[in-house]
Amino acid sequence: MSACFTLRFKMIHRVLRCAFQLPGPSVIRLQPMCVAVGEQNPLCGTLETTKEYMFVERLIPPTRVPVPPRHDGPAPSGWAPPSDVPPSLPYMVRRSRMHNIPVYTDISHGNRRTTVLRRVEGDIWALDGAVKELLKRLTGTDRTTQVNEVTMSIRIKGHYDKEIKEWLMQKGF
Amino acid sequence: MSLIKKPGGKALDVLQNLPRITLANLRPEPGSKQKEKRRGRGQYGGNRSGRGHKGERQRGTRPRLGFEGGATPFYLIIPKYGYNEGHSRRPQYQPLSLKRLQYLIDVGRLDPSQPIDLTQLVNARGVTIQPQKRDFGVQLVDEGAELFSAKINIEVQRASEAAIAAVERNGGVLTNSFYDPISLAILIKPVPFFLRGQPIPKRMHPGEEMVPFYMDPCARGYLAPPEQVQQARLALAKKYGYVLPDLSRDELFHMLSSRKDPRQIFFGLSPGWVVNMADRKILKPTDEKLVQYYGS
Repeated sequence: MSACFTLRFKMIHRVLRCAFQLPGPSVIRLQPMCVAVGEQNPLCGTLETTKEYMFVERLIPPTRVPVPPRHDGPAPSGWAPPSDVPPSLPYMVRRSRMHNIPVYTDISHGNRRTTVLRRVEGDIWALDGAVKELLKRLTGTDRTTQVNEVTMSIRIKGHYDKEIKEWLMQKGF
Repeated sequence: MSLIKKPGGKALDVLQNLPRITLANLRPEPGSKQKEKRRGRGQYGGNRSGRGHKGERQRGTRPRLGFEGGATPFYLIIPKYGYNEGHSRRPQYQPLSLKRLQYLIDVGRLDPSQPIDLTQLVNARGVTIQPQKRDFGVQLVDEGAELFSAKINIEVQRASEAAIAAVERNGGVLTNSFYDPISLAILIKPVPFFLRGQPIPKRMHPGEEMVPFYMDPCARGYLAPPEQVQQARLALAKKYGYVLPDLSRDELFHMLSSRKDPRQIFFGLSPGWVVNMADRKILKPTDEKLVQYYGS
């Protein structure tokens, strides 16, 4: 079993190697001891600069959040950028660092569900009224909300993140 | 933005007009603090204080939990079975839905014009892999298969059939390949590895149980022969009812067809090489034995 196993691997290696980006190491006939090669360096081994270093650069993680590319309308996943002209309303909801709508769900004590709408600027009470009206229209009941003027956020009883995200996106925030 | 963020608002106005807050001015909201129940303070000295009448209950000498008065208890009478045996040694695969993958591409965190492998996914902060918790990689889950519409060359460790169909329907390529734990740790964090100054190791082959999976063309295993994989692609297209796009006419054909050697961890970098990030150079071995070892 193990014999045919290794044989199979060797065959696959040969088959697949030809299609790959696997440049074999450049072999230079040398004495076995570490001897300076090419560019007078005391270490053994050849030095190869930028030719393959670009593959290393591709692996370095980016340190900044990339700017999203332009889309015509909403993207296939449902994400849409904020409108170029902010809507002319007395309040404003900024996008998060990752260019998403800042609406989050929260659960405490296992059963207490709330929705938090953060990053509000301007007249937060007007937004509160608008959110209450939206939820009245969608659910038929008055949803309790809490306005925190220091952190400029609104906390709503119940999980309504999808509805509020859609509403804010449609408004152009 | 022309709107100025004014922290406090109405609350701040009210606060500025009230007298200074001191302990003498503060009181909890009526109804917010409920008095705790204290035993033994009732009528006639509290009587039994909620302990019942005589016996083990009042005296606090009840037997252990699960004891059934001498009959063999439930937790001993049911025989053992190894449902969870070796659970901490089973390989785990972090799920990645097609919906999230599409979102990462839309927002610009993943570049579909380059091959997407686990390093790219982790750099985009799309998944978090913990090799120390027996994670062996990422698995592609088919949630969001209907709205997936990106042409990519993706390499994962496990993929459901519907996910493979969704990727190939849009003209992409999917490969299932194996990374042993050491190679995986290097793959997800390449920069700390390069700073160690060690040569890139060879990627090990999968263990005996996983070999059939990675040689299976229907699972697009990286060890499967390419002709069988092509046949499997056609069969899957027929099964799911879509026309398989012809990749050879695609402008990104070179990128879509690029795959790693089974012994290779990173695209373009062979095992045995040492990366010097400070000088932006790569050192390659020249000793015959090393070359033979790393080339095998």
